[in-house]
Amino acid sequence: MCKGVVKLNEQKLKLIFSEALEIDPEIINDELAYNSIAEWDSIAHMALVAEIDDQFDIMLDTDDVLDMSSFSKAKEILTKYDITFE
Amino acid sequence: MNFWNVRSSAAPAVVTEEHTYTYLELSEAIQERKKNYHSDEKQFVLILCESRYDVMVAYLAALQAGHAVMLLNHDLNEDLLKEIIHNYKPCWMYGEGPFPGYDQQDGLLWKRESQIQAAVHPNLALLLSTSGTTGSRKFVRLSYQNIQSNAESIAEYLQIDSSERGVANLPLSYSYGLSIVNSHLQAGATVLLTNESIISKSFWAFFQEQRATSFAGVPFTYQMLQRIGFFKMELPYLRQFTQAGGRLDERLVKQFGDYAIKHKKRFYVMYGQTEASPRMAYIPAEKVIEKAGTIGIPIPGGELAIDRETNELLYKGPNVMMGYAECIEDLAKGDELNGVLYTGDTAEKDAGGFYTITGRTKRFVKLFGLRINLDEVEKRLEQEIHLPVACSGTDDKMIIVIETELEKVNNMVKHYIEDTYKLHKSAYRIHTVDSIPRMSNGKTDYMAIKDGFQ
Repeated sequence: MCKGVVKLNEQKLKLIFSEALEIDPEIINDELAYNSIAEWDSIAHMALVAEIDDQFDIMLDTDDVLDMSSFSKAKEILTKYDITFE
Repeated sequence: MNFWNVRSSAAPAVVTEEHTYTYLELSEAIQERKKNYHSDEKQFVLILCESRYDVMVAYLAALQAGHAVMLLNHDLNEDLLKEIIHNYKPCWMYGEGPFPGYDQQDGLLWKRESQIQAAVHPNLALLLSTSGTTGSRKFVRLSYQNIQSNAESIAEYLQIDSSERGVANLPLSYSYGLSIVNSHLQAGATVLLTNESIISKSFWAFFQEQRATSFAGVPFTYQMLQRIGFFKMELPYLRQFTQAGGRLDERLVKQFGDYAIKHKKRFYVMYGQTEASPRMAYIPAEKVIEKAGTIGIPIPGGELAIDRETNELLYKGPNVMMGYAECIEDLAKGDELNGVLYTGDTAEKDAGGFYTITGRTKRFVKLFGLRINLDEVEKRLEQEIHLPVACSGTDDKMIIVIETELEKVNNMVKHYIEDTYKLHKSAYRIHTVDSIPRMSNGKTDYMAIKDGFQ
């Protein structure tokens, strides 16, 4: 896959996070973790999962939904679904 | 025996991630905490709740000491908490202080600097908000008899015995979450305490490690469980799971009912309101598929009836609240309802004696299991933005319509709803319109709003 798409995936994921968690994209980095900010609660998490499913056209597994505890973890999980990041 | 007078046995009472506390240890911790609640007159204690052992001790000690307790969630909006403290002037506060006007007495317990003379009714045990964290100043007044009778009834129909290990996975300040704790203590069973959500890995690790036999959920919990693949999980120790806090989609009732039957577990769909401490009806587990879509039959000790003229569902039982409270003076009031509750829901009864909710006489929606009064949202928004507002919606989504040409109002309202009601944006929609739909008599056409702005 060309580098441009790889970069786009990161941006796309950031946008999904910022939309689903209703937060400023600026504060999203690899360390951003579930329950570390008030906005990322269980309700927002489910919105996030739904949005990721939708936008990347996949269906995250049970373990992956439970495991997706940070932004970097989300990228790691998504690579299992053939979505690549830098 | 009352559930708050816990027995002194070596059986496990409360299990947290770190520790197991026996009934004897719990009983001793309560005695210790009770010493701090010394007062010649009946007082009331405001406890800011998290799912922690010490919070349970603070709650049970207050009941044992004969005081009244108000339970609020610890993440309550700060301004609202200030207002509640100002209006109700609790003698003690329990939580992460400091609280203005209170001195630290012992750890998280704070005592009011200046004592005020306020009568608290001898029967009053508990004050619970009607809508959890969503910003209501109105509280339900429950008596000792109310909460005791409901704990007994729940333990009976859910067949909770001393071998049960139930996860208290809902907030303690929420009547449903609290009823899990109360009914388990009543049965001498074990309460597993966690602040983790069912969508975190650590929740399920705790669940399996502690051999949890039950969990509870509002409709959203079940939507999440379905999405995270609950049906594929291996849960050998699970015996039963319950649902309340609003109507669960019939399709999901059947799916979870099927799962329960296949795996020899019991699934209970239940109906209640904080005003009834909270349980009023349930579907017996073996009927959950056949009677999906109904609210079931009355709980032991309760009766349901339908008002012939209005079709409103009435409940009669020892768990019906004393009444509401809106200020400190109301704490002195006695029983105003005499055991009869007008539920605000309309219903019908089938030949088998099962009740089905058909509608609502009052204007509110239940979002994530929490009740939101649409008229109140309207009123507060109008005070905030000084524009005509109309709120409608379903239990999935609240719809807010604002009469304005200014697009930016949309954002203002969004921030206000976020701050005040702590709602995720998926739970509501805001529309700006040239004119709010009205009927020929000038009244707001809520049906048109509900249908037209999905």
